[in-house]
Amino acid sequence: MFGYVRPYKPELLVKEYGQYKAVYCQLCRVLGDEYGVLARFALSYDCAFYAMLALSVTGGRVEEQKRRCVCNPLKACTYLPSPGEAYKKAAALCVLLTYHKLRDDCEDESFFASLGSRLLLPAVSPKARRAARQYPGMASIVEKAMEGQRQAEEEGAGVDRCAEPTANLLRELFGELAGCDNKQRPALESFGYFLGRWVYLMDAADDLAEDMRSGSFNPFIKRLGLEGKKELTQEERRAADKACNEALNATAARLVLAANLIEMGQFGPIIENVAQKGLAEVQREILFLHIREKPKRELK
Amino acid sequence: MSDPYKALGVSRTATDEEIKDAYRKLAKKYHPDQYAESPLKELADEKMKEINEAYDTITAQRRSGSKGGYSAGYNPGAGAYGSSGFGDVRSLIMSGRFADAEQILNGVPADRRNAEWYFLKGSVLYRRGWLEEAKDHFSRACQMDPGNPEYSAALNQAMNQRGGMYGGYNPGRSAGGECNTCDMCSGLLMADCCCECMGGDLIPCC
Repeated sequence: MFGYVRPYKPELLVKEYGQYKAVYCQLCRVLGDEYGVLARFALSYDCAFYAMLALSVTGGRVEEQKRRCVCNPLKACTYLPSPGEAYKKAAALCVLLTYHKLRDDCEDESFFASLGSRLLLPAVSPKARRAARQYPGMASIVEKAMEGQRQAEEEGAGVDRCAEPTANLLRELFGELAGCDNKQRPALESFGYFLGRWVYLMDAADDLAEDMRSGSFNPFIKRLGLEGKKELTQEERRAADKACNEALNATAARLVLAANLIEMGQFGPIIENVAQKGLAEVQREILFLHIREKPKRELK
Repeated sequence: MSDPYKALGVSRTATDEEIKDAYRKLAKKYHPDQYAESPLKELADEKMKEINEAYDTITAQRRSGSKGGYSAGYNPGAGAYGSSGFGDVRSLIMSGRFADAEQILNGVPADRRNAEWYFLKGSVLYRRGWLEEAKDHFSRACQMDPGNPEYSAALNQAMNQRGGMYGGYNPGRSAGGECNTCDMCSGLLMADCCCECMGGDLIPCC
């Protein structure tokens, strides 16, 4: 996943922000404990969100703890340890996703462009194997999604078909959180499906300009009739961003409906914030403010 | 549950009162209390659920029908539109069997794909979460049959969701820091004040 799933900070209560950070820090700690110091770089907002949802759905309260930050010994951090599997699962997910991302890079990109990935891959592979041993179900779900995605992109399929593997990945992961609670399962599955779809579309929309320049596959190119073009004029760019935003809105609308039906324990308001405001903010930042491109413009 | 009217054992033309009666009778028949500790309990629960759903579906349909049917697009009911050429598909969709519905739809040859076909295919896609293709199909249905309220309700809903009314980001929503008509007027007034300081005038009447 790609770090798009995060809360909209200005609308969080201070204590909620504290909790969110504590989950994030705790996940960082667990990653280090389970997979070694380097694995901490695999930490992402998405996996923190997964951990939070897992803690919330499986119930039970977790208590805060103040300890030293694992990266900066001078800083005190709040942690939210939990005896259950939530953090371990989220850590395994981080590692597995990072591993597949690196492997994809190595396969898709030229030797030099993927040099970094090539160097990192041997370090990550054993960790990924360890994660797969611990959670074989999760590993096979991730594997299946990556395979499905590769296939869809090779076929040059449409937007919906391309988004399906990622959507199903989260559908299965979230559905699994329901455990034996069959009443919760449909809502969680639907939430996962649309969140996965949203993440995929967001990533595709984010990469659109770059993919056009490099001639890589991107489902929006065909969808918006931009085949064969290298650069977009300002006008075209705006129209493309608007179209992508609409596709994302449609997905977000369904995602919010599903989230409403999930019975959440501790972090309900934070998860609601992510679904209703956080994702919207990411859409705004990427499609309308283009925050990711600013440094490039300054260089010119 | 293939057809809610059938489940309650009433005809499509039955009045609301008749339907209520039929529902009450059946509810008594299947009431789970009678079946407590019986091996048939599960089956009874199943039946009870079925008639509850049927009753809810019919009342929801009738209510939305009388209100102008904004949500009718998403409850393509077998009974709601008598002239349906795809009654079987509609009832499959209603009972949640989307894969079966889609299979039948896909088997329809291209020359027999009318507006309703595009609408129903759009509904199936929408439920599955394939929102882009769903929108395309709804638009096609509306193009082929512009006056149909069912199709345009579905398209409207899809377009509203795309506009960011229910989630996501709506760029039109002003969120402070943007320029609106009030800002423009007050800007002009201030410019007028500045001009007047220097002996000129921008807005002669004030």
